[in-house]
This record gives sequence, C-alpha cells and structure tokens, in this order.
Amino acid sequence: MAQGAQDRGERLKRLLPLFLATLTISATANSGYAILAVMKDDFVNRRKWFTEDEMADYIAIIQSAPGAMAVNISMIVGYQSAGFLGSLAAVAGCILPPLVVMTAVTFFYEAIVSNQLVFLFMRGMQLGVVGMLLDIIIGLFTNITKGRGIAYPLALMALAFLYVQLTDWSILYLAVACAAAGIIRALAIARGEEG
Amino acid sequence: MGILLQIVLAFMRVSAIAFGGAYATIPLVEHEAVVVQHWMTYAEFADLIALDEITPGPILINSATFVGMRVAGIPGAIAATLGVIIVPCALVMVLLALYRHFKDSPVMDGAMVSLKCMAVALIASTFMRLGANALLPEGALPDLGTTVFSVAVMCAAFWLINRKKIAPLPVMLSCGAANLIAHLLFL
Repeated sequence: MAQGAQDRGERLKRLLPLFLATLTISATANSGYAILAVMKDDFVNRRKWFTEDEMADYIAIIQSAPGAMAVNISMIVGYQSAGFLGSLAAVAGCILPPLVVMTAVTFFYEAIVSNQLVFLFMRGMQLGVVGMLLDIIIGLFTNITKGRGIAYPLALMALAFLYVQLTDWSILYLAVACAAAGIIRALAIARGEEG
Repeated sequence: MGILLQIVLAFMRVSAIAFGGAYATIPLVEHEAVVVQHWMTYAEFADLIALDEITPGPILINSATFVGMRVAGIPGAIAATLGVIIVPCALVMVLLALYRHFKDSPVMDGAMVSLKCMAVALIASTFMRLGANALLPEGALPDLGTTVFSVAVMCAAFWLINRKKIAPLPVMLSCGAANLIAHLLFL
C-alpha cells in the first residue's frame, strides 16, 4: 500500500518534467527524426528513465504505427514513465508548440499573402520544397531497397503511383492493398524457405 | 458543430494511413483537403508545405492546424489536431501491448516495407504536381528568364540538402529570399 502510494507520488512528480521535455523538444526540432534523436538523448542519457534497449524498442514500435512520430513516441514515453496521465502530459507538450505557432502563422498568412513581396518569398520557398522532396524520395527509396532487392519495391511503387495518378479513389484502399501484398509476399517467402 | 466533427473525421482518416514518416503525410493531407473536401486550392496547399518547413514541431500537426484554422478558425485548428492524434495514439498503445509478439516478425516487416513503397509513390506524385505548380504558375510557362531561374533554385535546394547536408529551414528561407530579390532586381 505504502509502496503503491509512493509509486503514485513518484509518477505524479514526473508529469511536469514530461510535459516540459516534450514541449521543449517539439518547439526546437522540426522533423520527426530530429525529434526522435533529441528525445532519446534526453530520456536515456540525461534523465535515465529508460535504457538504450527500451528506447530502441519504443522507436521500433512507432515505426510500425501511422501518424506523427514525435506524438507517438511522446505517447509511449509518457505512458511508460507515468501511466495514462503521463501520456496525456507528454502528448500535450508535443502538440502545443506546433498548434500555437501554426495558428499564429496561418493568421498572419491570411493577412499578408496577397502582398506581392510575401507572394514572391512564398514562391521561392515552394521552389526549394520541390528540391527538398527529391532528396526525400531518393533517401526513402535507398532505405527501402537496401539489402532487399529492387524489383518488388520498384513494381509496387509504380503501381501505387499509377493508382494515385489515374484514379481519385481513396488512398485507404491503396494502403490496405499494399499492406496485404507485403504480408502475402512475406508468407510466400517463408513457405518457400520451409519447402 | 457539424464542420468541427467533419474536420475531426477527415483528419482521423488521414492519420490512420499516414505510414512512412513526416513527408508521407503531405500527400494524404493534400488529397483530403484539396481533392475530397475542397477546403483549399492547390496553390494554398503549396504554401502550406513551405510553411511546414519554417515552423517547429511535427509536419502532420502543422498541416492539420493550418487546414483546420483555414476552415473553421481556432476551434477548427484544435479539432484537426485532435483528429490527427487520436487514431495513432490508440494504435501505439495496442502495439506497445503486442510488441513481444510482432518483434522481428517477417510478416509485419513485409507490410511496413510495402506501405513505405506506397509512401514513396505518394511523395513522388506530390513532387511532380508541386513542381508543375511552381514552374507553370498560371498553367502556362512564364518568360524564359523566370523559368531558368526557378529551375536553378530547385536544383540549388536539392544540392544543398542532398550533397551539403544543410538543414531544410535555412535552405527554404534562402530560396524565398533569392526569389524575392531576383524578381525585384531583374526578372
């Protein structure tokens, strides 16, 4: 009983640090991978709330989940340090900076986007984004094909590309079909190795 | 109230299939906001991607906030953000409980690799549409000088990020400044 109460006190004491940690990380890093790296350093090396192995497992889990990686890792880290309230505190910290900053940015965007100078600046950034997306595509492609062979990924990418170019059907169907293709292929390979 | 619920549901749909990292979420938000719901034009969406790069936090939350804010103000921004985190947070808890069972599972790995292939195809599709939108602003080629300059800025951004490993934020701001100055001075 005393042990339980002590645990609860200990957990409650972690809520504010959790909130502040994810708040700071989310406010200062702006890509998923950067956020993961900072979070690992903070919770494993500095706070020592988790071991390196535990954190590696958590990162593996969120890589199998959809959505924003930073929010998902906050959810797990919060839950594992302080239960359900911990996950609420950590997720709140993670979403607050983008929510507040982007709300302000959108507000100003609507006010100033018709200005010619702002328009030219935005257009320049859009050109930059096109170059950046090419880098992202190459990075993801290399990552997927590394050690796995190129034929299956390339065929699936081509089919998925045609699907989005030629139809305006929901991407949900495409996602289900891709996942099913991957599962069937994995089962077929496993059966082939057995036989 | 109706519109807020619609925003929550739209972003639940987006987040449920947002596999493959931050940039894979961009085409999904585009599809939902531009094609399905008609909440914004493609040009506004192109602005959103640029704004994503210069604001802190996860791109999916930034995108949701922008779309929600444009559709229904601050309540819309909050609704979109909640919509985009509900499904993944619930799934993460399920995966955490089941982790021992699917760790090192080839079936899980097969599904994830295939979903990442889909993500590449979606990003490639956005890349092409965004490229066309940037090069043909009014659906037609502008004068030669502008086109050459635009292609040069794209290539420079790619080179700086891919070869020089410079973070996207300073590159995007430099591209914006370069375009502004070039148009004021000589284009």
